[in-house]
Amino acid sequence: MSEEIAFWILATIAVLGALVAVRKRNLIHGVFALLVFFAGLSGLFLLLLAEFIAAVQVLVYIGAVGVLLLFAIMLTERVAGDDGRRMVSRGWFWGLVMAAAVFVVLLLPAIQQWPSPETAQPIKPSVEELGHKLMNPYVVTLEVLALLLTAALIGAVTAAQGVRMPKEEDSPE
Amino acid sequence: MTLQHYLILAALLFCVGLMGAFTRRNAIVVLFSVEIMLSAANLNFIAFWRYSENPGLLHGPLFTLFAIAVAAAEVAVGLALVIAVYRHFKTVDLESMDTLREE
Amino acid sequence: MNFELLIDILIATVPLMLIFATLFAFTTWLERKALARIQNRIGPNKVGIPCTRIGLFGLGQPAADGIKMLFKEDIVPRGADRLFHLLAPILALIPAMLVLCFLPLEFPWTKSLLPIQAFLLDGAVIFFFAITGLNTLAVFMAGWASRNKYSLLGGMRAVAQMVSYEIPLVLSAVIVVMMVGSLNAAEIADAQKGFDWFVLSPWGFTAFVIFFISALAETNRSPFDLPEAESEIIAGYFTEYSGFKFALFFLGEYIAMFAISGLAVTLFLGGGDGPGLAAAPWLSVVWFIAKIFALIAVMIWLRGTLPRLRVDQLMGFAWRFMLPLSILNILVAGFAWHAQQQDSTIITVITWVASLAILYGTASGLNQLNRGNTRPRKYKYAE
Repeated sequence: MSEEIAFWILATIAVLGALVAVRKRNLIHGVFALLVFFAGLSGLFLLLLAEFIAAVQVLVYIGAVGVLLLFAIMLTERVAGDDGRRMVSRGWFWGLVMAAAVFVVLLLPAIQQWPSPETAQPIKPSVEELGHKLMNPYVVTLEVLALLLTAALIGAVTAAQGVRMPKEEDSPE
Repeated sequence: MTLQHYLILAALLFCVGLMGAFTRRNAIVVLFSVEIMLSAANLNFIAFWRYSENPGLLHGPLFTLFAIAVAAAEVAVGLALVIAVYRHFKTVDLESMDTLREE
Repeated sequence: MNFELLIDILIATVPLMLIFATLFAFTTWLERKALARIQNRIGPNKVGIPCTRIGLFGLGQPAADGIKMLFKEDIVPRGADRLFHLLAPILALIPAMLVLCFLPLEFPWTKSLLPIQAFLLDGAVIFFFAITGLNTLAVFMAGWASRNKYSLLGGMRAVAQMVSYEIPLVLSAVIVVMMVGSLNAAEIADAQKGFDWFVLSPWGFTAFVIFFISALAETNRSPFDLPEAESEIIAGYFTEYSGFKFALFFLGEYIAMFAISGLAVTLFLGGGDGPGLAAAPWLSVVWFIAKIFALIAVMIWLRGTLPRLRVDQLMGFAWRFMLPLSILNILVAGFAWHAQQQDSTIITVITWVASLAILYGTASGLNQLNRGNTRPRKYKYAE
C-alpha cells in the first residue's frame, strides 16, 4: 500500500520535472527541474530495490552531470533566455507528432499481459554481489569503461580548451 | 506495482525527452533531453531486472551502471563540443548552424 | 499507512535531530570562545541567564543569536530569483541532515525497543558521498540567485573547490571499504572493535589526513574558506542573505561539519569504540560524539591558526598533491591487505616499513615538485 503511494508520488515528480525541463525558456530553471527529475528517478530505483544504482544516479547525474550542465550554461549564452528569440525550432509541430507516435508504439508492448509475475520476487539487495560480478565475468567491460572515461576526460578538456592562444586562458574543469 | 506501470512510466519519460530533442533550438536543452531518454531507458532495465525470474544474475544493475557511466562521458564530451562551437559561432542556436563550410 | 512504521521513523529520527541541534548550539559557542582565545581576546562572556547580570561564560549566546536571526528583516534583492533565493538554504540544509541518519549511532533503544532497520542501508557510504554532493548545488543556487557579481564569483569558486576536493575524499574512503569489504557503515565500525582502528596504520593514517583535509575543503572551512571569506569577497555566496535564511545556511554548514566528522570517525577512528564498552554498551554513543567533538575542535583550531589559501594554491593542492597521493595510497593499501592475509609477523613489519617509506617519500616528492618559484622577484617598473 505504501509502495503504491510512493510510486505515484515519485512518478509524478519525475514526469513533471522532465516536462518542465524541456519546456522552460530560462535554462537554469530547466536544469534544476532536470535535477528534480533525476532525484525522482533515483527514488524509483530505490523503490525497485536497486539501492546501489540509486546512489550512483544521485552521485553521477545530480552531483556531476548537473553541475557540468550548469557550468556550460554559464559559459555559453545569456542564461535568462529573455532575448526575444523563438524558443522552439521551426519544425516543432511534426516533432511533437513524431514523439506522440513513438509513445504509442512503445506503449503497445507495455500494456500487453506479459508472462511476468504480478509481484516481484523478494531479493536481498547486496552490493557485494555486484562487486563480485564486476570482477568475475565483467572485468573486461569495467576496464573498457575506465578507458572510455579517460578518453572522454582528455577529449573534453582538449575540445573545450580550443586553439592555444598566446595568452593562457583558464579551462573549465 | 506491476511491471506494466514501470514500463508505461519509462515510455512516457522517453517520449518527453524525445519531444524535447525534437522541439528545442538550444543545443544544451537537446543534451538534457538525451539525458532524460537515457535515464528512462535505465529505468526500463531495472524494472525488467526486478520482475525477472532470476534476479540473482544482477544483469539490471550491471547494465545500468555501465549505461550511467557512458552517459556521463557523453555529456562531458558533448558539452565540451558545445562550448567549442559557441566560441566559434557565438551562439548555440541549432537553427543557425546550417552551413558545412563557412564562406 | 501502518502506524508502526511511523513510530519507527519517529523514534529513529527525532533523537538525532534533538542531539545534533543541541550540539550545533554548543559548537557555535565553542567556536567563538576558542577562536577568541586563540586570537588573544575573550569572546562572548556577557550573555548568560537572561534578566540578570550573571554571564555564564557566554553560554546563552547561541540562544541570543538564534532569536536575533529570527527577528531580522528578510531582504531579497530586486531582480533576484525569489524562488531560488528561498530554496538555496533549504537545499543546503536537507542533505546535511539526511546524511546524519547514515551514521552508525547505536542508541540503546534501537536494540531493545523496536527492531529498526530503517537506516542501516547496505550501501551507506556511497549514499553518504552522493548526498554530500548536493551541497555543491545549493552553493551554486545561492550564488546565482542573488544577482550579485561577487556572489556569483564566490559561488563558482566554491563549486570548483568542492568538486575538486570530492575526488580525494572518495578515494581515501575507498581504502577503508577495500579493507573491510563492505559499504555498510555499521560493519565498518564493527571491524574496528578493540582499538584496531584504521588510523593506526600507515595507509590508514595517510587516508585519514587526506580525508580530513578534503572534508575541510568540502564544508568550506578555513583554510579553504575563500568562497565565504569576509576580507576577500564579502561573504561570497551568502552576501545577500539575511535573517532566517542566513541562519539556515549557518546551520547547514555546521551540520555538514558534524556529518563529515561523523563519517571520518566511522571510517577511520573506530566509530563508538572505546574503553568501557563491555560493561555499558550505551557508552558507544558517548564515545562517538566525543570523537566527533575532537575532530570539530581540530577544525576550529585550524581555523584560528592557518592563513587562507589562494584559489590557485587551493586547486593546485587538490589536483597535484592530494589526488596522486590518494591513488598511490590505494595501491599501497591493496598490497598491504594481501600481505596481511599471509599472517606472518615479518611480512607485516616489512609492509609497514615499506609503506611508510613509500608514502612519506611520495608526499615529499610531490611537495618538492609543486613548490612555486621562489626566485627573487624582478620588479619591472622600478628601474
